[in-house]
Amino acid sequence: MRTHWVGLLLLLLLVGLLGSCAAPKTPVVSAPPPPPPPPQGVFVLLPDPDGKVGQIEISNPSGSQVLSVAGQATTVAKADAPPSAPVKMSDPEIAGIFGPALGALPPPPLRFTLFFESDSVELTPDSKKLLPQVIEAIKERRAVDTSVVGHSDTAGSKEYNYRLSRRRAEAVARLLVAGGVAPDLLEITSHGKDNPVVPTGDNVSEPRNRRVEVTVR
Amino acid sequence: MRLGIFLVPVLILLAATAWAAEVETIGIIKNLQEPAAIVRDQQTLPAQVGLKLIKSDILRTGPNGRIGVILRDDTLLSLGPNSEIAFAEFVFSPAEGKLSLVTRMIKGTAAYLSGQIGRLSPRSVRFETPVATMGIRGTMFVVKIEDNLP
Repeated sequence: MRTHWVGLLLLLLLVGLLGSCAAPKTPVVSAPPPPPPPPQGVFVLLPDPDGKVGQIEISNPSGSQVLSVAGQATTVAKADAPPSAPVKMSDPEIAGIFGPALGALPPPPLRFTLFFESDSVELTPDSKKLLPQVIEAIKERRAVDTSVVGHSDTAGSKEYNYRLSRRRAEAVARLLVAGGVAPDLLEITSHGKDNPVVPTGDNVSEPRNRRVEVTVR
Repeated sequence: MRLGIFLVPVLILLAATAWAAEVETIGIIKNLQEPAAIVRDQQTLPAQVGLKLIKSDILRTGPNGRIGVILRDDTLLSLGPNSEIAFAEFVFSPAEGKLSLVTRMIKGTAAYLSGQIGRLSPRSVRFETPVATMGIRGTMFVVKIEDNLP
């Protein structure tokens, strides 16, 4: 698979090169010089939907460039050219090139967190009240996929917490189905104690980590 | 009677193994504008909203086509027209410490918003293109790769 991909890529680049070498008949009156070919790659950093700006690093064997300001772009003329120094791209420019792709980006998923009593598959009273909102969101969004992921805090062993989290996720799934959600929409998994929302040391009781996250896509 | 008791757990185990052997879904198509297709096992399927993606799928759009997908770790990815993208790796099992997302863009325009794998393990996420590879630190970006075919 990997060899084929490299082969196809080399073929694409080769065809591109051959294509550009074919020279048309030279007219008697000299034509203006052709415009330079567009860069092979353009990479632009954008802010997250909530306004945060991360960082991207664009590298190839000839060089590397980090972008950390929203609207910054780097261009790579070809595979053996180093990425350019950052240039600012205006919003109209970005919309012009990337409008269709950006328009097709799905909305970020809706996430609901349901909390549990310690060492239990019983929802806290506040989370019991949240459940109807979750069911409503799944129906209203016509979700194509909803994950129900169980988590635990770090108190207890890995295996114990994996199983407890799994039982929590299953309990929530049952409640959602009872509320009218189609069972085949739900993907039930457990992350045990390995994906805390509040990082703690091992064997720390932390109510905010004892949760099921329902993500509506 | 003894054999009967023994059979039940064996059957459950067989069923569980068979289910686990199914190729794992890595994401799902949420948005679509034709022409757009998925190439799977060398067959071209028309893209459909709700279609579940597997790791070996190649996403492809034609002129004026677009696709928007969301992966199991909440990564958002979309393609503009005349674009093609594939996934070299997708592993999302935080409980086993296994995290990896390598996207391979072949041509066209794409938008990308990093998800949980990028949050939990930025080093495990890469976005590869024919001219450069990107490392990503929890963020959103767009990429354009020229189509080299004449």
